Amino acid sequence: MSEVFRVEGLHAGYGAGDILKGVDLCVATGSIVTIIGPNGSGKSTLVKTLAGLLRARQGEILLKGASIRDYTPPRRVHAGISYVPQEYNVFRNLTVLENLKIAREFMSGGRAKGPVVSDELVALFPELPSRFKALAGNLSGGQRQMLAFACALTVKPELLIMDEPSAGLSPKYMSDIFDCIKKVNDTGVSVLMVEQNAIEALRISDQCIVMATGRVRLCSDAASVLDMPDLQTLYLGDAASGHESLNRASAA
Amino acid sequence: MLQTAFNGLVTGIIIALPALAITLLFGVLKFPNFAVGSMMTVAAYMVYALNVQLGWPLLPATAVVAVAFGFICIALDYVTFRPLRDRGGITLMVASLGLGFVLENVARFAYGNAARSFAIELARPFRFFDIRMNREQMTAMVVATIAMALMYVLLTRMPVGRAMRAVADNPSLALVRGIDSASIIRWTWFITGVLLAVGGVLIGMDRALEPPMGTSYVIAVFSAAILGGLGSPLGAFVGALLIGLVSELATLVIPPNYRIGIPLCVIALVLIFRPQGIFGQMYIRR
Repeated sequence: MSEVFRVEGLHAGYGAGDILKGVDLCVATGSIVTIIGPNGSGKSTLVKTLAGLLRARQGEILLKGASIRDYTPPRRVHAGISYVPQEYNVFRNLTVLENLKIAREFMSGGRAKGPVVSDELVALFPELPSRFKALAGNLSGGQRQMLAFACALTVKPELLIMDEPSAGLSPKYMSDIFDCIKKVNDTGVSVLMVEQNAIEALRISDQCIVMATGRVRLCSDAASVLDMPDLQTLYLGDAASGHESLNRASAA
Repeated sequence: MLQTAFNGLVTGIIIALPALAITLLFGVLKFPNFAVGSMMTVAAYMVYALNVQLGWPLLPATAVVAVAFGFICIALDYVTFRPLRDRGGITLMVASLGLGFVLENVARFAYGNAARSFAIELARPFRFFDIRMNREQMTAMVVATIAMALMYVLLTRMPVGRAMRAVADNPSLALVRGIDSASIIRWTWFITGVLLAVGGVLIGMDRALEPPMGTSYVIAVFSAAILGGLGSPLGAFVGALLIGLVSELATLVIPPNYRIGIPLCVIALVLIFRPQGIFGQMYIRR
């Protein structure tokens, strides 16, 4: 299968030290890749670097074979990367419709045509039209997450990057958001997400990447990671210290 | 009483434009620009040059200078604020104080300290019930109201206005929504320049043109923006009207010389009881 996105030897961080210490990964076209790992493993730093909010100090970022490492965040968006941050992911003082309009107008680089909210988007997020005039800051956490997700999809991206899409959501919205991600993926959009809710995320994923201490410790297909009996331990933090399953998988 | 209230309303409408300029800049760039007074002064003198020295009518002179001053503000940002952008709001505020000092003295160097006025025909005041309205006041109200209406349309109906509000709301999210913040900053400075140029002319019509004319409005302008809620365009407008009204009405009970103290009292009261202002949001440092 061809790959849409590749990261090679990526180093990035804040201040003097590196948080990412040589991350390599790739996303196959049309696949869902989930990144899991303990707190502090560098997952959020990685997605921020991929979105362009943090400068890559070393390494390469390739979208469809072309380097986007030196692109500004808006240029990455125009190249086809949509990013949904974990929090503060909507403009709270703007209405729902204004949030969608901004995404439509600017994520397309002014090339968008047709209605602000397409029928496909309404089908995915049926709650949205009834809330168009509401301030985004007045929405519930789940509704805000759905709005952020909808904004990222107003222009069909090559790669959708999501940072913990289910964080802080009620069980209803958590289930909805994973359903939406799967539906979006079925339309041909490749997805790279960081997720704490590993089991739910891996159920819809093709590939799983486990990170620890700023490095990729395991890259395997999602189904086999789900079958690991000690996934929770792996996910909760023993990955860095030589967990049996992880070492086995790494050796393989 | 009615006359005083009307005068207050006119004063409020005049300071609404620079208050809006301050609040737009604060929203997008997160620093209080204390150079607004001197910027208005320089713009007013530029209009004076076209109007009095070259004989242009006031309206086209103002229109040309407003556009030109928009570009001048972009240039001022380029040489003054942009190199300091990463140093934080306090540094930018101090830079704005310095810039204001320089600009005011540029005006003083060019035109001296003598009071001047635009070439405007004298006209008999118009009477409406017991309120006497002179032509300058009517012009100020009409021009400022049109400017505020255009700003409302810009900020709510046009992509660049929505983008300005988006950058003010969440700069890093704006980046990943494809908004080129450098371009939005340039737009913000341009609009600031236009508002300040028009505001400077309105102040120049209301009183004499002299180098400290803009600076003398800075406290009132800031108190209007703070009262309305820094960063809120609607707040700037409402805050300006309230400051204008309260300042004028206060002269019914205190000597007019102490009128300048009213905006300062308003700032103190707002900061104590409602720091975010009427329409502002609590600023949470994170």
